Order: sequence, then structure tokens, then C-alpha cells
Amino acid sequence: MSRTLLETDGPEWVRKGIITAEQHQQLLALYPEDQRAVGLLPLLGSLLLGLSALSIVAANWQGLPEWLRLLLLLGSMGGAYAGGEYFLQRKNESLGIGLIGLGLILFGCGIILTSQMYQLIGYDAPGLLAWALAGTALTYLYRSRTIFVLMAAIGGIVQGYSTGQLGTFSYLTAALTVVGLGYYWWRHPNALLGTVLATGLLWQAGLLIGHLHAKITWFFIPAMLIYAVGDWQTDRAAGRALQTPPLAAAFLFTLGLALYGEADTYAGMLRPPFLAYIGALLGVFALSLWGKYRRGRPGSATDWLLLLPGFYLHGGLALAIATLVVLYAYSGTVLWRAHQENNPDRVTLGTILFIITTMVAYFKLTWAFMDKSLFFLVGGVLLLGMSWYLRRKNAQSLSSKQPE
Amino acid sequence: MATPAPTTTFTHRRLIGLAVAAQMLFILAVAGAGYATTALGRTITLRTTPVDPRDLLYGDYLRLNYSISQVAPTLWQGPEPPRKHQPVYVLLRPQNGSYEATAVYPTEPTAPAPDQAILRGWVTDSWRHGLRLRYNLERYYVPEATGKSLQKTGGRRPLLVQVSVAPWGQARITKVAELPK
Repeated sequence: MSRTLLETDGPEWVRKGIITAEQHQQLLALYPEDQRAVGLLPLLGSLLLGLSALSIVAANWQGLPEWLRLLLLLGSMGGAYAGGEYFLQRKNESLGIGLIGLGLILFGCGIILTSQMYQLIGYDAPGLLAWALAGTALTYLYRSRTIFVLMAAIGGIVQGYSTGQLGTFSYLTAALTVVGLGYYWWRHPNALLGTVLATGLLWQAGLLIGHLHAKITWFFIPAMLIYAVGDWQTDRAAGRALQTPPLAAAFLFTLGLALYGEADTYAGMLRPPFLAYIGALLGVFALSLWGKYRRGRPGSATDWLLLLPGFYLHGGLALAIATLVVLYAYSGTVLWRAHQENNPDRVTLGTILFIITTMVAYFKLTWAFMDKSLFFLVGGVLLLGMSWYLRRKNAQSLSSKQPE
Repeated sequence: MATPAPTTTFTHRRLIGLAVAAQMLFILAVAGAGYATTALGRTITLRTTPVDPRDLLYGDYLRLNYSISQVAPTLWQGPEPPRKHQPVYVLLRPQNGSYEATAVYPTEPTAPAPDQAILRGWVTDSWRHGLRLRYNLERYYVPEATGKSLQKTGGRRPLLVQVSVAPWGQARITKVAELPK
């Protein structure tokens, strides 16, 4: 119960005789006034002071002697860490972790500014690797979600800089993200962190594929490996969250295939060597299925529909239509499972996917051929039939649980 | 590392202290690498012209265009044509008081002659008549006092840039001066 509710509705309860005036006071005493608004003022004040100091330093940076610049970098970083520890000891969790995060960011800035100060250029990223290493260490030391998210972002930045500016893929950074953050997430499963981790890893996987100049379809081998790890996670919600980014990528890719796959030049760009790709994909598929079976959720195997390698077909329009069928099958199964699980969020998701697919199908097929009316007739009948069946089923299951 | 209630234990605080100290040492090591590159590195002189000497947004640096920034495609020694963003090794030889490129390799060449030097860079563009390279030496952050005079006198006239290349590969600009007449 919130204090606001007690303050606004309390007098009414007293008037109606539900509680006495004394009980109202006692209840109010149970919910002391929030001190947060008061605590915010000094924070904002120090933020302004910090900004003013920062602008003075930034304006005179080049004019300061080197030792002073180094001292400022080290001092601000050490100060942030010390301040973080101070507030954490006093149980001010958010401010403490915020300062620790600031210290980590200042470490990265310190590395960059120091190398710039000495006009120093490196050809691989040991400095940035040190940043990622510090991020991983702090993730374990503080077990904080904020630091975890920060570290995932740092890993992405380091990898982006490494491939973009230095022309090399930093396998060490990738390993640090996979092993460091991956193990942390595995031991402390969490839905939000699962999505963040998967997104960060997909970003690095994408950079690797770009760096190797490989066919973009190879991206789905690491992506689905991440997905398969989600199958093995005992925490259902966290596993599902880890699987969302790879699935979203696969869905978007299939959508693109439905739109552009008709042109064989596009499909041709996607074809990796058949045996190697299918072998790798089947390996990951087996791993994922095994995990699903062991954790007792084989129903989600329908997710793999999106990974059907339709781009090997030389079909032109046939390929586009086959892809649309796959998309319909996928969004249909999402809806189906959502209704079975009675999960309103996933019903919404399934509906959105269904609508997107229908829109793509419409744009695709109205241009392609005129028998579309039949296609939509079949689709519409299917959808109506399914909704009728599901509603009846829902009504039955609800009426068995509660009257009305 | 799986101790309960980590913020209160003694070892936890020691580990934090260790992590922070390591980060400070690392920044100091970066600074040290700067001094060591000058002290232990081999100095080579490159010919350059500043481009766009007045940059309103970024203020205090010169953008330098080296004579080795664009080389003939015949210098390329790789089995496959050069690709954008590819890291390369540029073999340099002294010629008329500055170093000029003699070959560009995709992998580190073995044992260059004593008067030659190797500078690492990246391909930014390659076409039939040229190969554009980037060395990350294109920005010179001008020390406060010398900046204005360099910009004034430098103009579009050639400059000589001294670069120290450390045995472990790092490089830094140590001096920018006008071409002696």
C-alpha cells in the first residue's frame, strides 16, 4: 500500500467507520514519508559542481602540464571508486553502484586520453581489452545488474572499435564477454540481463561475420547457439529472455527473405557451402532440442521453423511464398502456444507477428499474381477458425476455474 | 568468488582495492609506454602537408597528409588484392632526408634491411591507380604554445614529422617541424 493512498482515502475510511482515526495514524506511521526527493537535491547539486569542474578541465586540457593531467585522470577515477564504496557501505545502493559505474567509464576515458596525450597509437586493442577486463572483474565483485549492462556495452564498444578502426576482431574481448558475462548470467539468471547479454553477443557475432567477409547466414550459427543455451537454463523466464534477440534476428531475416528472396541474386548472396552450414545448424539444433527435452519444454521447438534454410531453393516466387508459409506457421504457433499457456503478453506478440507477416504477404503477392484472393481466403478462414476454437477453449478453461 | 554478502567481507574490499590499483597502474603504464616509445623507439622522418589547418570544432590539432598516405598499387605484395580496412605493414626506406614507402605487405615482412623501417597502417581505399593508407598518425595534437605558429607558417607548405616506432610496434609523433630550406 502506498502512503499517498492512505493520505487521500484515509479520512474517508475514518468517516465511514472502517478504521478509527488512531488506526489511521498508526497506518500512516507504517509508511514513513519518502526521503528520496530530499536526497535528490544534494545529488543534483554535486552533479552541477562536477559538470562545472569538467568544463573547466576540458577547456584547459591542452594547457595543463602532463603530470597534472595524469593526476586528474587517476584522481577522478579513484575518487569515483572510493565514493562508490563509501555509499555502498552506507547501504545507498543506487548512488554507490552509479559511482562505481562512473569509475569504470572514467577508466576507459583515462586510457583513451592518456594515449592521446602521448600521441600514442596502438595496432591492436590491449588498452581497450584492459577496460573490458576491468568491467568483467567489477561485474563479479559487485554482482550488480548496472555494471553487467555497462560491461556488455563496453564489450560492444571495444569490439566495434577493434573491427572498425584497427581491422582486427578481438577474440579475447569476445571470449571475455562469452565466458565472463555468460557464466555470470548462468549462475545468476535474470530476464533483463539475458536480453542484454544476447544482444551484446549478437552484435559481436555480427561484427565477426562482417570482419571475416563470410555469408551473413553464418550469423545464425552463433545466434542459435545463444538460443540453445537459453534452452538449457533452468530459469524459464531468463532463458526465454536470452532467446528473444536471436529469435527477433531470425524473424527479421526471414521477413527480408520473403520480401527480397524472389531475386535469385539476393538468395545467392546468402548461400554458404551446403554441407558445412547445414551440418553446423543441425548440430546446434540437436543441442537445442536436447535442452528443450531435458528441461521439459519441447513445445518451443517450433521456434526453429524460422531457421529453415529456404535460401537454398532456386525458386524465385516459389521461395518467397514458401518463406511466407514458414512465417505464418511460426506466428501461428506463437499464438497457439500463448493461448495454451494463457499468457496475454505472448498473445499480443503473436498477433503482432501475424499482422506483420500478413502485411508483407499482401505487398508481396498483390504485385506478384492475382490469385491472391484465394491465399487470403484460406488465411482468413484459418485465422477465424483458430480464434473461434481458442476462444471456446479459453472459455471452457476459465469456467472450470471460476463461475461466470 | 561466490561469497555471500560480498560488500561486507574483508577479502571483498581487498579485491576491490586490487582492481582499482590495477586500473591506475594500467593508465600509468600507458603513459610509460609513451615515454618508452620515444626513448627506445627508432625515429623515422616523414614528409607531410597539413590539410585543413583550422578546424573549428576540434581546435588544437593538425590534420596531416603524408607522402606515404597514398602509394602506387604496384607496391602491394599480397597474393590477393587489398581490401578496405585491412591492416598492412609498410616498408619504408630513406630517400632525400625522409622515409618513403617501398613495399606494402598484408603480413609482417621478415628481417628488413638495417636502413629500412616498418610502419603499420590500414587500407582506407584502393583503386586501379592508387592505394590510400591510414596510419593513425594523421592527427597531431598541437602542444599549446607551438600550435598557432605551426598553423600560420605551415599553411599548405610541407612539414617534416618525426615518428618514433617502438620495437613492440607502438608509434608516436615526437616532433613536427618545417622543412629546412
